[in-house]
Amino acid sequence: MKKIFSIFSLFVLLIIDFAAFAQTQRFPRPEFESGYTQPVASMPEPRAGIFALVDVLLLIAALSLITWFIHRKRSRTGVVITSLFSIVYFGFLREGCVCSVGSVQNVVLALFNPGYHIPLSALAFFVIPLVYTLFFGRTFCAGVCPLGAVQDVFLLRPVNLKKWLQKVLGLIPWIYLGLAILYAATGTDFIICRYDPFVGIFRFNATFFMFAIGAAFLLISVFIARPYCRFLCPYGVILNLVSRVSKNHLSITPASCIQCKLCENSCPLDAINKPVEVKQMEGKRSATRRFILLGMIIPALMIIGGWVVSNFHENLAMVNSKVRLANELLHFDSNTMKESLEIEGFRTSGKTKEELYLESAAILKQFYYGSWMLGAFIGLVFGLSLAGLTRYKYREDYEPDKGECVSCARCLKYCPVESN
Amino acid sequence: MNNKFKLRKTNQFLWRNIAIVAGTFSFIICMLVLVNYIQINRIDPVNTELINSLVQRLEENPNDNQLREQIREMDLLVRKAYFTNQWQVKAGGYLLLLGVIVTAIALQMFYAGKQKLPEVTESEQENIVLFKEKAREWIGLGGFGLVAITLLVAFLTHKELGNQFTQAALVAQSTPEEKSDVEVVEPIKEEVKEEVKVEKAAEEVKKENEKPAEPVVEDKKEEAVEKKEPEIKKETPAPKVTGGVSYPTKEMMANFPAFRGAAGQGVSYQKNIPTDWDGASGKNVLWKVQVPIHAYNSPVIWGDKLFLSGANATQREVYCYDRNNGKLLWTAKVEGIAGSPAKSPEVTPDTGHAASTLTTDGKSVFAIFANGDITALDFNGKQKWAKNLGVPHNHYGHSSSLLVYQDKLIVQYDHKKSASLMALSTANGDELWSTKRKVRVSWASPVIAEIGGNTEVILAADPCVASYDVNTGKELWKLDCITGEVGPSVAVGDGIVFALNEYASLVAIKPGANPEILWEAYDYLSDVPSPVISGDNLIIVTSYGAVVCYDAKSGEIRWEQEFGSGFYASPILANGDVYLLDREGVMHIFKADKEYQEIAAPALGEKSDMTPAFADGRVYIRGEKHLYCIGK
Repeated sequence: MKKIFSIFSLFVLLIIDFAAFAQTQRFPRPEFESGYTQPVASMPEPRAGIFALVDVLLLIAALSLITWFIHRKRSRTGVVITSLFSIVYFGFLREGCVCSVGSVQNVVLALFNPGYHIPLSALAFFVIPLVYTLFFGRTFCAGVCPLGAVQDVFLLRPVNLKKWLQKVLGLIPWIYLGLAILYAATGTDFIICRYDPFVGIFRFNATFFMFAIGAAFLLISVFIARPYCRFLCPYGVILNLVSRVSKNHLSITPASCIQCKLCENSCPLDAINKPVEVKQMEGKRSATRRFILLGMIIPALMIIGGWVVSNFHENLAMVNSKVRLANELLHFDSNTMKESLEIEGFRTSGKTKEELYLESAAILKQFYYGSWMLGAFIGLVFGLSLAGLTRYKYREDYEPDKGECVSCARCLKYCPVESN
Repeated sequence: MNNKFKLRKTNQFLWRNIAIVAGTFSFIICMLVLVNYIQINRIDPVNTELINSLVQRLEENPNDNQLREQIREMDLLVRKAYFTNQWQVKAGGYLLLLGVIVTAIALQMFYAGKQKLPEVTESEQENIVLFKEKAREWIGLGGFGLVAITLLVAFLTHKELGNQFTQAALVAQSTPEEKSDVEVVEPIKEEVKEEVKVEKAAEEVKKENEKPAEPVVEDKKEEAVEKKEPEIKKETPAPKVTGGVSYPTKEMMANFPAFRGAAGQGVSYQKNIPTDWDGASGKNVLWKVQVPIHAYNSPVIWGDKLFLSGANATQREVYCYDRNNGKLLWTAKVEGIAGSPAKSPEVTPDTGHAASTLTTDGKSVFAIFANGDITALDFNGKQKWAKNLGVPHNHYGHSSSLLVYQDKLIVQYDHKKSASLMALSTANGDELWSTKRKVRVSWASPVIAEIGGNTEVILAADPCVASYDVNTGKELWKLDCITGEVGPSVAVGDGIVFALNEYASLVAIKPGANPEILWEAYDYLSDVPSPVISGDNLIIVTSYGAVVCYDAKSGEIRWEQEFGSGFYASPILANGDVYLLDREGVMHIFKADKEYQEIAAPALGEKSDMTPAFADGRVYIRGEKHLYCIGK
């Protein structure tokens, strides 16, 4: 173990040195005789091709390493070490960008906007964790994602939430994902990045509001494991789906479960499915009837959802800067109101009001149809969740919930069974 | 059973104390950072009440150097405090991170030591049926709540925005100004309530933070001019004659009626210009008078009269001197104008309240000030008309100079709230035409030139160089090629327009319906002085002291010359030589030729940022405090 730790430490040091070297610009920054120092850019600088490739290679290396730690070594220590590396490199050094969570938006924008060429690194950050999840479960969440890792570090006194509450809160990421897709598809904004609670901390430039949100998440993380991952992360819900069909998901026991119950309370995320005894299950007939009924009303829920959100599309569209400007311009009275910077900028842009209004009307139309789809999607999620809560699965052993489990490997040490 | 669960032994006492110390440290740092953050957000280092009041006092007493120094020191202190606060927040952020890391490690170690072996309790099993039932209930409830809130907000805020935008687009389409940048506005008469008082006064200085126009240098058509204007030199380019009207007129060329001479082209048509003087010893200084109120506008001349203006936050005056003896003939106070704001707008000290140079048509003299007041005075100082154009929103102060074309007073009025070029009647100030411009605030002055049969007003402002028909205000052409806070005016020579600005580029434009860039250069750019052209020699002057000659046709650098002092004054072409006054008051006189050849470098003995004016055998320079007449 010490040997592994030494090799890994050396590896981390090398990476840090390399990253520092990578900061060298192609053109040196000018020096000012007055003593003026260059301000730090508020957005991370674009990565040169070679460094973007390094990021992708490191992502693959980190994923491979943590998967090896979890599946082969069954080592929680290995997960912690990888987590620390991810916080340092993908978090502080790379300033949280590109991250897989935000890359969802790049992919959506590329799909809906033919003029947008998605950076290959963004595509890689989206696809590679999905591939690993498909084969090995959510090992990316375990310790490669800096957002999850930083929350994990703060977990000290885990408190289990009520199961039903987890189910209800678990619907929020779906709604967030739907909104993020709508805004990315319309080219409005990347809301996942804008409201990422940790990226401002990684960059040391959070606004007061975002810093407060990030700090609140970290404080909550002391008691509730990974609140962002479980109740907000839009990429997490995609990984959740993929992980359900993962081929080699982590298992608590290396051999056969002996029903010792030692691991029962070991998971701070409450992602261990306990055996379901037949006597606990609802009558087959009533459960089946409800399942069919809920299944049938899913289309109705989708239509209702679509109609409701489509009525809300104007409010959703207000996030779009062009729509906001057009609305402001529509109600602007130069005699009684002071011109905003946005209006001044528009006035000197050379664009006519007619063009702006027509563009805004077109965007509103996109939002109208997008809202129908978003509402239908939310209706579908609610319907499927309700139907899923009617389904009972007979289970004999203690097993990780393949969707919810983030493969943090905490439960492994609780199992007394030796591998064959 | 061989349980792999191992209890880790840690020194709980130690880790607990470390956690307490690090946690307390983090909390204190967090509070300090918060306080600093709030302070930074509350203080605007460039807009403090105390300094603003001191600046106002300084404007009332511009010669109070002690107060000036006090303001500078206070300004430095406030800025230092601001940046120290910023540094503290940043350093605090790192300390906080360190504190939080130590706290987190200590707590992890502490709780690791408190871990107990897992216990198997025979607690009652969670009823899966009840859990699912409850989850279904809450999801249903949550869904209903979400629908209700969404519908409520949707119906309360529903505005049919899509239809509103479509209708607004139709309205905008049917509104002429939405279709074109050009808007010809009917003249609006304004009443002038008060008359200008004529008084005696002293003297003053000027400056040209404005960036005026360039000379048309065309060697071909001098003949007709030379017959009646023998004083015009051979080297001096003559204006084109279009439609029977030539511009600038012979009378204008015989005088120095505007910033950078007739038509704002940077050319003096006078002769026998002196090259040797010394302000300190008084050599060839015919007279020297103090100007009553300091300003940065340059002198203009018509006949025996020389005009200047001076202004501060409370006073605006126009001065008329006898250019032969320096006698102040009259002072016209510009006040009581309808619509004039009670308080002058804020301007920076290096621009002031009267940076715009006056202009004259031989009958009247026209002046504009930073508060938007514009006035016409007859040659006896009596007000003919006056009006306020609206306070220009200009963060340095309005500085674009005026020009006269026939019966039109041409005014560039590009400021933040609206940008326009307008022509006012020289007779009564009525607006003859006004053209809206989609540009940012600019400080350049208009240049009038004959190009391709049109008499055009050419302006440079972010983002374009644009030309307008001087008779109608109609936009003739426009080319997006310039950015930033544009100060220098354009130069025009041999049908090519040259424009430049600091941090942008120097562009040579072939004007026309489809204007195109002939060449572009980036090596030497100007933020204040305007370029001048003689033949195919384009002279570029920078505010940091470099002077460069380009081949106007190819854009190749012919020569470069570095001077010790920078330049704010624009170069003037006279006698085929360039007269360029540096900020220390030294006039650099050199040949406008393919090789740099210095002729002389006489010193005024007083700093100056103003462009000189010329008369036969005379140079008139407005220094920081005095007005000088140089002659032989």
